[in-house]
Amino acid sequence: MNNIPLAEEHRMLQIQILRHNPSALLCDSDKGSHLQTFEVEEALGMTLFIALNEIREEQDPSLQFDFVCRAGICGSCGMIINGRPGLACRTLTKDLPDVIVLAPLPGFELIGDLSVNTGKWMRGMSEHLETWVHNQELEEINIDVIEERMEPRLAEQIYELERCIECGCCIAACGTTQMREEFVGAAGLNQIARFRLDPRDKRSDADYYELIGNDAGVFGCMTLLGCEDMCPKNLPLATQIAFLRRRMAMTTG
Amino acid sequence: MQIIYTDVLVIGGGLAGQRAAIGAKRRGHDTIVLSLVPAKRSHSAAAQGGMQASLANCLGGAGDNEDIHFQDTVRGSDWGADQEVVRMFTHAAPKAIRELAAWGVPWSRVERGDHEITVDGEKQTISENEAAHGLITGRNFGGTQKWRACYVSDGTGHAMLYTMSNRAIAEGIPVHERMEAVALIHDEGRCSGAIVRNLMTGEILAYVAKATCIATGGFGRIYRASTNAIINEGMGAAIALETGRATLSNMEAVQFHPTGIFPSGILVTEGCRGDGGLLLDANGHRFMPDYEPKKKELASRDVVSRRMEQHIAAGQGVKSRFGEHLWLDIRLLGREHIDRNLREVKEICQYFLGIDPAKELIPVRPAQHYSMGGVRTNPNGESQGLRGLFAVGEAACWDIHGFNRLGGNSVAETVVAGMIVGESIADFCDSADGSINVSTALVEKFARKQTQQLANFTLASGTENAFDLTRQMQETMTSKVGIFRHGDQLQEAVNTLQNLLLRSRNINLRSATRGPNPELVAAYRLPRMLKLAQCVALGALQRTESRGAHYRDDYPQRNDLEWMQRTLAVWSEAKDELPTLSYEPLSIMRMELPPGWRGYGAKDYIEHPESALRRQEIDRIIATMPDADRHAHQAALMPFLDKLPPHLRPLNQRLSKF
Amino acid sequence: MNRKLNLWPARLDLLQSLSGLALVVFVWCHMFFESSILLGKDAMLWVTKMFEGEHFFGEPYPLLVSAIAGIIFLLVALHAILALRKFPSSYRQYHRFHLHMNGLHHSDTTLWYLQVITGFLLFFLASTHLYTVLVQPDNIGPYASSDRIWSGRFWIMYALLLLSAHLHAGAGAYRLAMKWGPASLTGSKAARHKLKTAMWCIIGFFLILGAASLATYMKLGYDHRDHIGERYMPSSHQVQQE
Repeated sequence: MNNIPLAEEHRMLQIQILRHNPSALLCDSDKGSHLQTFEVEEALGMTLFIALNEIREEQDPSLQFDFVCRAGICGSCGMIINGRPGLACRTLTKDLPDVIVLAPLPGFELIGDLSVNTGKWMRGMSEHLETWVHNQELEEINIDVIEERMEPRLAEQIYELERCIECGCCIAACGTTQMREEFVGAAGLNQIARFRLDPRDKRSDADYYELIGNDAGVFGCMTLLGCEDMCPKNLPLATQIAFLRRRMAMTTG
Repeated sequence: MQIIYTDVLVIGGGLAGQRAAIGAKRRGHDTIVLSLVPAKRSHSAAAQGGMQASLANCLGGAGDNEDIHFQDTVRGSDWGADQEVVRMFTHAAPKAIRELAAWGVPWSRVERGDHEITVDGEKQTISENEAAHGLITGRNFGGTQKWRACYVSDGTGHAMLYTMSNRAIAEGIPVHERMEAVALIHDEGRCSGAIVRNLMTGEILAYVAKATCIATGGFGRIYRASTNAIINEGMGAAIALETGRATLSNMEAVQFHPTGIFPSGILVTEGCRGDGGLLLDANGHRFMPDYEPKKKELASRDVVSRRMEQHIAAGQGVKSRFGEHLWLDIRLLGREHIDRNLREVKEICQYFLGIDPAKELIPVRPAQHYSMGGVRTNPNGESQGLRGLFAVGEAACWDIHGFNRLGGNSVAETVVAGMIVGESIADFCDSADGSINVSTALVEKFARKQTQQLANFTLASGTENAFDLTRQMQETMTSKVGIFRHGDQLQEAVNTLQNLLLRSRNINLRSATRGPNPELVAAYRLPRMLKLAQCVALGALQRTESRGAHYRDDYPQRNDLEWMQRTLAVWSEAKDELPTLSYEPLSIMRMELPPGWRGYGAKDYIEHPESALRRQEIDRIIATMPDADRHAHQAALMPFLDKLPPHLRPLNQRLSKF
Repeated sequence: MNRKLNLWPARLDLLQSLSGLALVVFVWCHMFFESSILLGKDAMLWVTKMFEGEHFFGEPYPLLVSAIAGIIFLLVALHAILALRKFPSSYRQYHRFHLHMNGLHHSDTTLWYLQVITGFLLFFLASTHLYTVLVQPDNIGPYASSDRIWSGRFWIMYALLLLSAHLHAGAGAYRLAMKWGPASLTGSKAARHKLKTAMWCIIGFFLILGAASLATYMKLGYDHRDHIGERYMPSSHQVQQE
């Protein structure tokens, strides 16, 4: 037990990357969008983070991708790995076949190669859905006195929904967002579920209805369940969306 | 070139930067935050374990207050901290956490009734009070006397950062993402903004601001084995250093976290040990009690890391093909506890090691974790060398951590300092000093210099590879400026770094792609990282003592007699190959807690005669005030409240009494 | 706070689900009625007469069947109009969805696309079927139906209708349960897995039942091919009626 596996195994991996650099279009010899194959020798415990950095440092220094924490908690490195969205930093190459196809997350503005602007999308979603505690008295809170109480179980439930890392995998896994850009997606609906659960947010269901009571919101969800199945954090997205759908359908204004 | 004008420019979108931005914005100043990455992806999110604040709600925290938090922090710092600032910090920490609670952080709460906990490998049952039910709870952390680390399961930093970012969005603070400040605009000792490179397009633009605040976090990536995110390259501190005016301090004080996963260096939280996890060696023996009978696994991080390396050096490490390591055992905490309170740890083990921590041991070895040093500031957060420049969070040396930071004090610092510095930035902008008189000629001069430097990389017929040089720097730092340091090795490191800096001027780019060119980014960051690394190495070489995380095996004692001093570094001229170091004395006679034994680690230190004098003086002062309460005693010894913004001065309410 | 919320999106969404649910229930019941042929011609005739109201009023009113067909027709139309909103509405959307589905290999996504296709087919198939029933309500019975199926060559359409309707209804029922809860209430993957297994079992059951019934009608129609137009007389009344 308890040993880092010592198996000697040196596959030659074929990593095929969808290359495209929109900002280089105006100049140089840009080839437009194309699939480029790199060969990388697999190493023990190799993740796509390691493999991609190796490619950049040794084969093609212009290759673009995003990593920040490289520990699966910041949500920067969502990409399409053999057809499915996932976090590249915590994807071990040993779990993948000899040929690995990588593409940027669809549904987001492409910056270049595997780098997409999820930050802009998420900020837009936050502004649109007003994902913060709404409370008239927030300006006058007294921070010198003992804090408001909260049931321990409730705090845990809120955290459960707060765990979203805005990686964009649910958006890329959602057929609805792929067809309709205005749809807020599971990431957005989960935020509403999170604040609706939070007693510190004083918004009513009618307030939430104004935000998501339409086909760009909860009624746009066609229950394809890609979000639920491909969320790297295993958030209970289907449950939350079903819950919101019931509440919003019962809202009367 | 585009020039953007704003009142306040905050460089860095983590917890500290955003909190300072919110403070300034609320006072009516236009504020823009620059961030290398989307703000919610900042490294603050990686803080798993907790935030220290003496709320004293849970049973393990009963009786806690600012005084005990103060003592723990100063002892943890090995008396390197600025005690007035520590007082400001410990006083405002409960307020910061309560503010965040109101803003939406789902802090874990005290639950009344019986709970099973693990202490010293044994199961115990404790019973939480009815009166505390539903209040913010805390967990045990290294180097603390009380259970004070408030947490949100093990995603504390994530929950705090999301709440803070959402608050900033609510306040309408724009975050310009994927923007990197590459130089500070300054003239005659006054900073007036920054030259910025758009990482998506490669375009250079300028931000002109009354006040500029650096909040770019630490510089862990100058090391090979680091728990830090890959963006933590210290660019904020580096551009401050490159002004030749602003000083960096205590750069040699670098913390190594005991439990980096081996070999990737990914962090597993101190909460593992706080909640009862143990460290085991190759024989499955729990070795920490042999070295530290009192605090065991929960001595401060510098001590535990050193003991671990010492134990490995003694031949007790577990051998693997990547080198040696030790084990972290959290099996005894039970699956339910792990699933509930240590879920991120579980996921990390699952995804990166393919193991189940409820059944298997976790391979760990200390890895670089935190930079105590940074841009030297006054208690209000303003740089000591450059007016109009502020710094906050890990990028700053505000100096509550001295030579070793306690777990849970970093996220606490970000939000507490953010609260305080945000106010002082606003004060500064409101004052006569706030106005600037900047010509576009000056802005363009700075911009041209950057454009020229970047162009040089693509034009030059150099021979060096930016990635290779970066690796050599990281290797040098990890192997020669690590946990155990020695004069000879440090000298070698200084020489190597000096050589690397020269070679970095001769980098050749293989790719001339326009727009976001990752190789170009590596090329222009490298010399800046090398300058920071040199500050660390040279500072470590010259500091001939051992204090906190800085350990010299050729000078193993803490030497209060000669080294009650803070290291200051400036890079006077661009052509310099080494920083210029100077020292700022710490006045023992003004300390509330004069230097002594920390209560863990080596007892052996060279005492300064003033320490005994100051202790006598303190006893005498206390004796003259028989009826006074602790607040009055404190005020008599070292008043600090006047340094806080007025709204942060009131006493903190607790369950027991004020 | 007196605001005017636009409640139509909620109503339409609910209506789409409810009309779908009603149609699922209808289709499943319909299967039991039509498969009465497996129990014999008399059983089927009895069911036919029941719908014509003969058991209640003493004599048949085929218009009742027309009325039911009319209602179902309206339901189908309503459901179709509402569901159409969710279909890919341009080549671009269609193309993007296709790319997405083909890369993802995700059964629930593929299943939805299957619903789009079957839904599209059902426009024609269900309409044809309903039109027949609507205008010839009296033309239902052991021989009448069999003749239409075999000699009228309706079996091709019915086979397609059977397949489309059950895939669409089964998947729709599963999706409804996930969409509104309670199946998604537990949040457990196991519950969803069970539900999905149940869905395939139900689809399989009805396809077998439907195929067996269709085969029986075809056999009857084949045997009866020389007597097209002749109506079946219940065995107990055959002499008397003649």
